[in-house]
Amino acid sequence: MSEEYLLQMTGICKSFSGVRALDNVNFKVRPGKVMCLAGENGCGKSTLVKIISGVYTKDEGQVIFEGKEITKITPAEATRLGIQVIYQDLSIFPNLTVRENLAINSEITAGRKMVNRKRWDATAREALSKIGCNIDLDAKMGELSVADKQLVAICRALLFNAKLIIMDEPTTALTKKEVDALFVTVRQLRDSGIAIMFISHKTEEIFEISDDVCIMRNGKNVYSGQTADLTRRDFTYYLTGRELVDDRFVPTNISAEPILEVKNLCMPGKLQDVSFELRKGEILGVTGLLGSGRTELALSLFGLAKPSGGQIILNGKSVKIPSPIAAQKLRIGYVPEDRLTEGLCLQQPIADNITLASLKRLSNALGLLKKKDIYEDAAKWVKIFSIATNDPKKNASTLSGGNQQKIVLSKWLSNDLDLLILNGPTVGVDVGAKQDIHALVHQLANEGLAVMIISDDLAEVVVNCSRVIVMKEGAIVGEMTGDAITEDNILEIIR
Amino acid sequence: MKLKTFTKNNRYTVMLLGLMALILVFFTATKGGAFWKLSLWKGMTMQFPEYGCMTLGLMFAFISGHMDMSFVALGDFASILAVNYMSAHVVDGMTNGQVGSIMFVAILIALSIAIIGGAINAVLVSRLNIPPVMATIAMQLVWTGFSTALTKGYAVKGLPALYTEIGHMELFGFLSIPLLIFIVLFIIAAFLLKFTVFGEKLYMMGNNLKAARFSAINTHNMLLTSYILSAVYSCIGCLIMVSTMGSAKADYGTSYVMRCILILVLAGVLPDGGMGKIMDVLLSIITIQIIATGVNMFPQLNTYYASLIWGGLLIIVLIVSTRMSGGTVRVRKPRKAPQKTA
Amino acid sequence: MNKAAIKRMTRRTEFYIFLVLILMIALIGIISKGQLFEPTQIVTILRAMVVDGMFAMCSLVVMISGGFDLSFPAVSALSYSLATTICLNQGWCQTNPWMGFLLAAIIGWCLGMFNGWIISNFRLNTMIVTLATQTFFTGLSMGLLQLKEITSTLPNGFKEMGKSYLFEVYNSAGLRSTMTTMFLFFIALCIITSFVLNRTMFGRALYAIGGNEVSAERAGYNVKRIKFLLYSVVGAVAGFTGMIRVCMASQSIPKALVGKEMTIIPAVILGGASIFGGEGTVFGTVCAISIITVVSNSMLLVGIDTYWQSFFNGLVILIGVTVSALQAMRQKH
Repeated sequence: MSEEYLLQMTGICKSFSGVRALDNVNFKVRPGKVMCLAGENGCGKSTLVKIISGVYTKDEGQVIFEGKEITKITPAEATRLGIQVIYQDLSIFPNLTVRENLAINSEITAGRKMVNRKRWDATAREALSKIGCNIDLDAKMGELSVADKQLVAICRALLFNAKLIIMDEPTTALTKKEVDALFVTVRQLRDSGIAIMFISHKTEEIFEISDDVCIMRNGKNVYSGQTADLTRRDFTYYLTGRELVDDRFVPTNISAEPILEVKNLCMPGKLQDVSFELRKGEILGVTGLLGSGRTELALSLFGLAKPSGGQIILNGKSVKIPSPIAAQKLRIGYVPEDRLTEGLCLQQPIADNITLASLKRLSNALGLLKKKDIYEDAAKWVKIFSIATNDPKKNASTLSGGNQQKIVLSKWLSNDLDLLILNGPTVGVDVGAKQDIHALVHQLANEGLAVMIISDDLAEVVVNCSRVIVMKEGAIVGEMTGDAITEDNILEIIR
Repeated sequence: MKLKTFTKNNRYTVMLLGLMALILVFFTATKGGAFWKLSLWKGMTMQFPEYGCMTLGLMFAFISGHMDMSFVALGDFASILAVNYMSAHVVDGMTNGQVGSIMFVAILIALSIAIIGGAINAVLVSRLNIPPVMATIAMQLVWTGFSTALTKGYAVKGLPALYTEIGHMELFGFLSIPLLIFIVLFIIAAFLLKFTVFGEKLYMMGNNLKAARFSAINTHNMLLTSYILSAVYSCIGCLIMVSTMGSAKADYGTSYVMRCILILVLAGVLPDGGMGKIMDVLLSIITIQIIATGVNMFPQLNTYYASLIWGGLLIIVLIVSTRMSGGTVRVRKPRKAPQKTA
Repeated sequence: MNKAAIKRMTRRTEFYIFLVLILMIALIGIISKGQLFEPTQIVTILRAMVVDGMFAMCSLVVMISGGFDLSFPAVSALSYSLATTICLNQGWCQTNPWMGFLLAAIIGWCLGMFNGWIISNFRLNTMIVTLATQTFFTGLSMGLLQLKEITSTLPNGFKEMGKSYLFEVYNSAGLRSTMTTMFLFFIALCIITSFVLNRTMFGRALYAIGGNEVSAERAGYNVKRIKFLLYSVVGAVAGFTGMIRVCMASQSIPKALVGKEMTIIPAVILGGASIFGGEGTVFGTVCAISIITVVSNSMLLVGIDTYWQSFFNGLVILIGVTVSALQAMRQKH
């Protein structure tokens, strides 16, 4: 290689209407290496990517690609240089065939006006042959698995003689097996001399795949260097900005009788013979990879999925939960996985969002709203959770991810609950809010609430749960309590 | 500063008030005193209640985030049945009391048809998952089809005189019965939206249906209620229309479909759901009526001038309101044609 | 043909809609004791398909791009009314109608550009925008321009054009029916649309935009320009189609197309186009339009009053959308 670095960025700054999104960011990408860009949500990772790919223009700083300084990057220019971005949504067309998805970008770039079926086919085959994968070219893109979609997106990027491929959180929707397959592909690309920029926030993956790492926090890069020089502890410190404090949850108030017993719960293709118990005062962790059935388990306890067999016993009585309304009557609350589509009405006021699930209590027999009570209730939760707003009448969309998650939690906590199910309670939540949420959940459990935390964030599971069950392919494959709960132990079972 | 926040929070109110002022000034300037005649304004209060009621009905569907194209066709069908019933049972020489009781039954028939029709819409949309636009367009054709088949395309006459009389009656010399009905329906709608759990849930559900379901809201029931309300309101509108027209016909209200959507969009009640205020809808109805009446005052202009102005206004309002809400934040696109690779 | 290809074919809406068409023709054929297959009847049905079919093509391409156009009947009506009025006043088109067609297409093109300008520049809900422009255009033609009905005074060129035919057929009773020349325009438009959709980058762009607009932009399509172009062309085609209607009906009535969108759009969706964009084919649309036309034109043959026409249209569409909705639900599980 003539140049030591493929891409060098120095002193990059970018502001959006006065807010600094990137502040003096420096990093380098070596050819034929995997560079991980790590950071929590909102740290400026995606802004940085958009500057490299030419979607945004930088305010200050220097970009050197293959030894030449590039002053003005446009998306077309970036493509010409050999920079390809694979976005998290993969930028695919679900309604078109694999062949078209593979060929369309290069056809547009070549400025073609007509469709030549033969040429499209040749282009598509060439693309697939680059990494030697075998996907039916006539299949509709939308019908492929996420992993296959990703392969198509990678193949498409390779058509442009890519020298640098940026992958934005590629593992989010993949199962462990698929992640492994993806890593094989990534290594294959790396060995052929292509630089990969891998964006992630998952510690395990970063240590597994990367040669170099650049960690960002609040728009600054706080560490950049080789991954081998970094310990996991340091990594977490750089990522979150604080030492990992070990305020593990210690249950003090576990009831003798289980509040929830699940027996042989089944759902074809999703759940197999799932049985467990949960007592008041416990925090039960349910972990497993994507597609392990963890979400289906939660949904069937909240009436949003129908199990085909098995029994749910609540407070000693066998119950059927056909809908969320029934679940609410049984004093079950559920904080969903995806806050934006399942948890919040973004363009509605904060107060209305907080009280949405408890309107029965906040209205009279005729269905008239007690407006005063609603605002009092909302104000109460804003205070308890220190939600960062000066006016609960503002829309929920004005808040940050962490504060939004607090709203979703308040919505259920303002009900009188026996069981609270949290699915990915701190995904995309900043560190401060994360600690607030954890502390409150600990407190509630010790006051006698039964809590289930479903998460693939092992650190979160370890710190918060007094008992953990591990799921794999719809079945429970392991259970551990107390000090036996460590990341290593869980990982061993998951693999 | 306070004014600025008020303007920001009540964008459509401010816009509509400005619009109305503009229109009033224009017609005053061109027509002077003739525009401020009491009879003219009384005429307006006779005209807008029919489509005003329909608009209020459609508003429920829009706020819940669902389109309804079938409301007028359904109302027409229901009112045709009512008129048929009345003309079949009312004979000469009946006392007002007897006629009244027949009218009462006829209205009940119409309303029950409306309830059934609304329920069908809700089932198609929420249980069978048919996109609302499609389901309601199909139902519109079905209802129009029923009406046409039933009437062979003719207007159904034979309304009892009492019915039309009541339709043209005025309380205290200014409050016509249609206006009274509209006011009552408006108050009910405003009350439902502002002070009840139903209204609260309707807005939330319109904004995010899935989140509402995850919050233990019975979205199926909510949708059922909102579609039934839409149908019942529009049925009442059609019953008023029947009394002013003196007959019922399969396609009497057809042109009102687009007018109602227009009024709602002008008031910021978009079919995307969860948006809009009922006071703005009232302002919008009145604005539209003033334009229609004002245009009528120019003998050289036909009624289509009103469409011209409505359409133009809607386009301007759409553009202005997206500008104001910053809706034009555009993704940057490659301006130049991408460079050719070898 | 391998197994996967067969499986893919049977999954397509077009496949089913074609089956339904065949079945329905067979069924009506049997009930009407073969009257449906009288040459005169076939010619009548084909004739009735011309204008609706051409409008359906306009609606189809817009829907593929993820839009929803309510304004094409208004665009068409304004274009042909204005064009015939100009021709009448100028004394044009007494022998040769092409000037009228050109005028209508140009007017339609301008109106389409107006639609395209608003939609591509302001990123608004296309349904609402076209509702607004529909109202506006209707007001323009019948309010501001006061365009009148032109019936007996219609320039001769148009009348002749409407009367021209490709061939004539006779039924068993000896009644004569003619196959209008206008049918060629319909065929041509179908072929062109199909070619553009499948064989040009512009056509693929429409599918791409309908499938995922952001991805289309990232892939390098100039989405704004494509949308602008799309709506302008659709306007021009709508204007042209309107002129065909004038010729075939031998009259120009500004109000004639009011509410047309409500029968065309559902038919296009019945033919497999998705209101969310990215799906739809010319073949499916033609099948759906055929179904609707056959149903409405053979009601008398099977002994049903024509007043039931709208009801049966609605019913066919309702069944169509219900089946595809149920299919989508099943696929999800």
